[in-house]
Amino acid sequence: MNRLARNGMRQTSALALTIALGVAAGPALANDQLVELAKDPANWVMTGRDYNAQNYSEMTEINKENVKQLRPAWSFSTGVLHGHEGTPLVVGDKMYVHTPFPNTVFALDLNDPGHILWQNKPKQNPTARTVACCDVVNRGLAYWPGDDSRGPLVFRTQLDGQVVAMDAESGETVWAMEVADIRVGATLTIAPYVIKDMVVIGSSGAELGVRGYVTALDVKTGEQRWRAFATGPDEELLLADDFNAPNPHYGQKNLGTETWEGEAWKIGGGTNWGWYAYDPEEDLFYYGSGNPAPWNETMRPGDNKWTMAIWGREATTGEAKFAYQKTPHDEWDYAGVNVMMLSVQKDKEGNERKLLTHPDRNGIVYTLDRTNGDLVSADKMDDTVNWVKEVNLETGLPLRDPEFGTRMDHMARDICPSAMGYHNQGHDSYDPERELFFMGINHICMDWEPFMLPYRAGQFFVGATLNMYPGPKGDRQNALGLGQIKAYNAISGEMKWEHMERFAVWGGTMATAGGLTFYGTLDGFIKARDSDTGDLLWKFKLPSGVIGHPMTYQHDGRQYVAIYYGVGGWPGVGLVFDLADPTAGLGSVGAFKRLQEYTQMGGGIMVFSIDGEGPYSDPMVGEYVSGQPA
Amino acid sequence: MKKIALTLAAAFALSGPALAYDGTNCKAPGNCWEPKPGYPEKVEGSQYDPQHDPAELNKQTEALANMQQRNEWRIYNAKKTGTFEFDVKKIEGYDETAAPPAE
Repeated sequence: MNRLARNGMRQTSALALTIALGVAAGPALANDQLVELAKDPANWVMTGRDYNAQNYSEMTEINKENVKQLRPAWSFSTGVLHGHEGTPLVVGDKMYVHTPFPNTVFALDLNDPGHILWQNKPKQNPTARTVACCDVVNRGLAYWPGDDSRGPLVFRTQLDGQVVAMDAESGETVWAMEVADIRVGATLTIAPYVIKDMVVIGSSGAELGVRGYVTALDVKTGEQRWRAFATGPDEELLLADDFNAPNPHYGQKNLGTETWEGEAWKIGGGTNWGWYAYDPEEDLFYYGSGNPAPWNETMRPGDNKWTMAIWGREATTGEAKFAYQKTPHDEWDYAGVNVMMLSVQKDKEGNERKLLTHPDRNGIVYTLDRTNGDLVSADKMDDTVNWVKEVNLETGLPLRDPEFGTRMDHMARDICPSAMGYHNQGHDSYDPERELFFMGINHICMDWEPFMLPYRAGQFFVGATLNMYPGPKGDRQNALGLGQIKAYNAISGEMKWEHMERFAVWGGTMATAGGLTFYGTLDGFIKARDSDTGDLLWKFKLPSGVIGHPMTYQHDGRQYVAIYYGVGGWPGVGLVFDLADPTAGLGSVGAFKRLQEYTQMGGGIMVFSIDGEGPYSDPMVGEYVSGQPA
Repeated sequence: MKKIALTLAAAFALSGPALAYDGTNCKAPGNCWEPKPGYPEKVEGSQYDPQHDPAELNKQTEALANMQQRNEWRIYNAKKTGTFEFDVKKIEGYDETAAPPAE
């Protein structure tokens, strides 16, 4: 059955909704079921594979010895151009595929992946495209496994600000709620996240002055459970009574207003559109709030709390137990939304701790004790980071180098990293056996000149002109050498290995127990490196550049590696919108002016296996047989 | 923890204007911003005054409240009819100026 679930009318059958609404919610089993599903290496049930967001698979069928034999097993075109961020989900026999705007979702049958089980195509207001900051990307889907009263659901965010619940079996829309209003510049690009029969969604739009928030909705009905802002009064931030009690030097109450002048917090940014992680034992989930608005720092005196913070919130209530602001009073757009990867490791004193590691856009990799927010380490991810001299682990404060500060009536030069960060939205990985984080890195610096502008709701509110170019280790003459790949030990602070790349490694990495680190490149390769040495063992040229992260799954006893191709996103705006002014695309056009020489637009998934074996190794699979139902 | 508290107390006690903003000269925990040399403590009334329009500043709050109300109507209707309808104008009794009736 090939269903096309068009949803412009957004009316759901009485039966589907009665099932969803008619029975009171039973015990919160979603956590347990998702944890169990994630334990099976065949599945990839959330964007980071499991709640630890390690992007790590225990599968070893594909390993250092045989990775050279990887060949395409099958592929799928999404029919959509522009940047494809994130990664597909696999649950059982189905792969769930998302796309950039118009945010179509497909379910594929892994027994015959050429067969689209269903597709759900929303009709969106095209105006949403005009308020998207950096291409029209989307970072993925969430899966809720269902319970006694309701079958499994798949959740999507849309650029127009809606969150949609779809029946995982039929693709039918069960409900759709408005969470962001494009008329005031708010959009949704984040992958939804399921915790405890809630779907949690962050917001986008800080480049239009959107005040950031995170919202939890009931998976079955769409009813709002709670909403927490990044700036403003404490009661709107949902600060717990003991907020930051273990670390009072981070700051505690009233700072969401006191660190702003007047009511600037109302348009102060701090959106969150990156990745979540969750610790079911602590009932805390973790994410980063982004940059303050506008980028022009002179217009917003103060530390601008709680933008740029690592948050630990109780999932049930939304209450914040801790927040650590990494870049107080940001001057460079180091939006702090990047991935949070959870691990358990012994610290330098030999004490086993539950940790959270976060490669931030500001060029520092932070590791916190995720039970209380204690800062454990803060290391430069490259020695060319220059806006900060060091982070004081006792106070948590960055010691800024005033030479690389920005201000009105001043052109700041050679700031490293650039506004794109030394790390952006890529979802990295952690190998618990090797105790290494594999980081895809940007190597880009910038010049920055602010300008004044008024705030008008729904219009861009940036106030800075940027020029970007390769970092000191790249080739500035030829505008190449814009990225790195590194293996990092968060306890020793050392890089085990590192390599330069032609362009930014924008999409992130995936590690396996087979001793391999996979990642895609903007110029369109998927690569596999030896996780111990960094040696390049295999690569394949994809139809278009990569800004998503690889995943792996097992089907019929065979391991596959899959990755989205589809160049775009912030580094691709010059290519996808055909821009030439080097300061356009918030400065990315100049940095990536050579990208078009290596790749062009496209959108889809490529799936690999050893020798390309897969469902179509039997040529009769997927054949038309007269008289048999499809 | 005590050591950190003492270190911070000493830092705050010694705080005074910095020659250049390095972010470590704190007025209170979590409040460490200070103007750069030659720039104002407050921008209102200065050459860098963004001259925010209060009506513009409130538009996001209003938009969120309106969305939330429309969502409440959708949920109200779904519970009442067993059918989900996104277009609130098609919901019987919908009033954009009011919350849905209490259940």
